Amino acid sequence: MSAPPAAVSFPPQSCPVCGLVNRLPRLQPGECARCHRCETTLAVGPRSGRHSASAFTLTGLLLAGPAVALPFVTVSKFQSAHESYLFSGAHALWDSGMNVLAVWVGLCGLAVPLLLLGTLAALLVVSEPGVDRPAANFLLRIARAFEQWAMPEVQMLAVLVAFAKLGSLVHVQPGPGLWCYAAMALCTLVAWRNFELCHAPQIPAAESAGLLEHE
Amino acid sequence: MKIHRQFPAAPSPDSRGRAAAFALSAAVMLIPANLLPVLSMDLPGELRTDTIFSGIVALCDQGLWPLALIVFTASFLVPVLKLGGLGWLLFATRRPVGEGALGLTKLYVTLDFIGRWSMLDVFLVAFLSGTVRFGALATVRPQPGIVAFAAAVVFTMLATDAFDPRAIWSSHSQSTEEITA
Repeated sequence: MSAPPAAVSFPPQSCPVCGLVNRLPRLQPGECARCHRCETTLAVGPRSGRHSASAFTLTGLLLAGPAVALPFVTVSKFQSAHESYLFSGAHALWDSGMNVLAVWVGLCGLAVPLLLLGTLAALLVVSEPGVDRPAANFLLRIARAFEQWAMPEVQMLAVLVAFAKLGSLVHVQPGPGLWCYAAMALCTLVAWRNFELCHAPQIPAAESAGLLEHE
Repeated sequence: MKIHRQFPAAPSPDSRGRAAAFALSAAVMLIPANLLPVLSMDLPGELRTDTIFSGIVALCDQGLWPLALIVFTASFLVPVLKLGGLGWLLFATRRPVGEGALGLTKLYVTLDFIGRWSMLDVFLVAFLSGTVRFGALATVRPQPGIVAFAAAVVFTMLATDAFDPRAIWSSHSQSTEEITA
């Protein structure tokens, strides 16, 4: 059950791009506040309550297990067939002596998206819109650091390209792990976008007070 | 919105230097990334190795034009545009920026957004290597070029990360603004 969306007001906040301190108005659902100077979107009035972000976060976390454990694809050529899993690619890189790259692919493809979802879940518990809480601000910074390196959507596009590329070479059948991973990638994107723009505790302008010294 | 770094209170004078160092490292890594093979295919009676570019040509030869376009954009165009854009940002911000600040900001936001999509080729090679393992019938193996390419992608992302976009606006007055939705 989603709580009904309500107009949200934020404290003054620094634009993350140009540093200008903006006083944001109360935002109605669907309204969008942009930086006065560089036009970066700072906040969006939520169309749905925080519970929808929580639902997507929880669903994403729950889907990670089957995405890893269930067969990702089944590949067959002539009479031979074998199943590969989400980590088969990283495993193949590791076997080829590319250990760092293997770890990197595993991190960007699954570990960091999961850390992002976990941090988001914690944020949804401790944060409140418009309320400055040090723990929430700390978690928000961690989540933003994770978000940059979480790339499940890029991995999904790579898998789609590979399907077409493999068409003439082998027969590829998507497995349940792939569907779970695709749904997890979608949940991660939706949960983060929803939370970041609509429900994130804003970094208070006071923490960027140094900028005002340039006046 | 993809811009989310928590910078210190004022733009650091080192940010341009760090960004330039990462961009230069990425440019250097792009050379082996494009010259060395990124994957090999063992097929009956044939051992085929592909660089990034020959992989794109192979997709075209198969008639898979939309895919060739996607891979060309992600693996070739994005890294080159990103390095060119970063170079332009670093050049333009060596002095206070006047009228062009908004355009440079939009360029920075675009560069920040597109960077991650270059990882497509890395995930593609990993997936193919983990999936096509039929011994002598068909086996795909990753080749050293993909390590150089991944390093180039990471360096371009770190370069964008290191660049403080507030440097674009450092000559503009800084006051608190009321905005309307």
